[in-house]
Amino acid sequence: MKSAIAVVIGLIQLTAVFAQSQSVTSNTFADAAFAIGNHEGSLSLLFIHNWRLGANKKLGVGLGGRITSYLGANQYYITAPASLTSESTSPLIFFKENVTANIDSLLVKSPQITSVNASINIDYRVSAKVIVGFNIDAIGFSFGSKQKGNYINGYQGKNTEGNPTSFNVLLISDNDRGSLNSELYGKYLINDTWALKAGAQFLFTEYTTVTEVQQFPSANDRFRNKSLLFALGVSYQLKNR
Amino acid sequence: MRWISVIALVIMLMACQPEDAVPTNPVTEVDFNVSQATLLKKGVLQGIDHVASGTAHLYDNDGKKFIYFDPFSSQNGPDLKVYLSKDVNASDYIRLGPLKSTMGMQAYAVPVNCDVTQYHYVHIWCEKYTVVFARAEIK
Repeated sequence: MKSAIAVVIGLIQLTAVFAQSQSVTSNTFADAAFAIGNHEGSLSLLFIHNWRLGANKKLGVGLGGRITSYLGANQYYITAPASLTSESTSPLIFFKENVTANIDSLLVKSPQITSVNASINIDYRVSAKVIVGFNIDAIGFSFGSKQKGNYINGYQGKNTEGNPTSFNVLLISDNDRGSLNSELYGKYLINDTWALKAGAQFLFTEYTTVTEVQQFPSANDRFRNKSLLFALGVSYQLKNR
Repeated sequence: MRWISVIALVIMLMACQPEDAVPTNPVTEVDFNVSQATLLKKGVLQGIDHVASGTAHLYDNDGKKFIYFDPFSSQNGPDLKVYLSKDVNASDYIRLGPLKSTMGMQAYAVPVNCDVTQYHYVHIWCEKYTVVFARAEIK
């Protein structure tokens, strides 16, 4: 009998939560996540205002902002500009293979970059308790201290220094500039306000060297690291309408 | 919350992988005949915050240049490389390859288009951590 009552109460709660989700037209939330990879990691705070779309309001599209602080040890950055990596800046470079002969490395001893970016979010409510989504930084700025780097081009090299590239902007493929974060995530709603979040974080960070250390096939001072990190975090619902 | 901490700890431990060290067995063969080569420069290797000793030689063997260590001994470390540089800080250098052994004679070919008169230092360099282990000024 007790278990039957418990099942009924559970079903009522589930229905209530789902009914509430269907009536919500917009929601605002804040996420905190840490992400970790091979000798690297990040902490990020994301704030998003989402508009719920569709007949069942399951689809969410939102705008907001994110602060990401990246830390690493001995990370390899590679030639960043699309004009070198793909020998083109056209939007079609997304489908083009990298020109490896043009790509050199910058080994940064202790990369530390903090970025502040406007972000875009899209999510889908799979069930009463589960949301899956994707977010990506669009434009912003980065800062951090100057770091030592070892520029490596085949058998030749230069010990140099670099600063985080200050201006960030999302374009297409290697046309991107600066440090940009993105996440493919799932959220499990613990209650009306809190959710657990897990997913993959794809984080670009970028350094600009103090001189144009790369000279061939053309001069370059921008080097990018693409990190795939495992992210865990929490999400707090600030407002539902 | 405890299970999140456990997962985080497991991930961090997975991220810490063992690092490759340099072989410790002496190299038995060198790439050229030292007795028939011409010595151009040489210098004494000195450990820089690490234990290392020996002599670095620059030889010309029938037009091909080689850096030759004999004798040689160095503390082990990850990703040790041999650099030939223009200045003491290796701000402009040539990579001659991974260190072949932590002890005994060994030779490293210098790229053919390298003007060796411009290069005055040999380094044992931990590339991954940007740390110099030993250095010799060759003259």
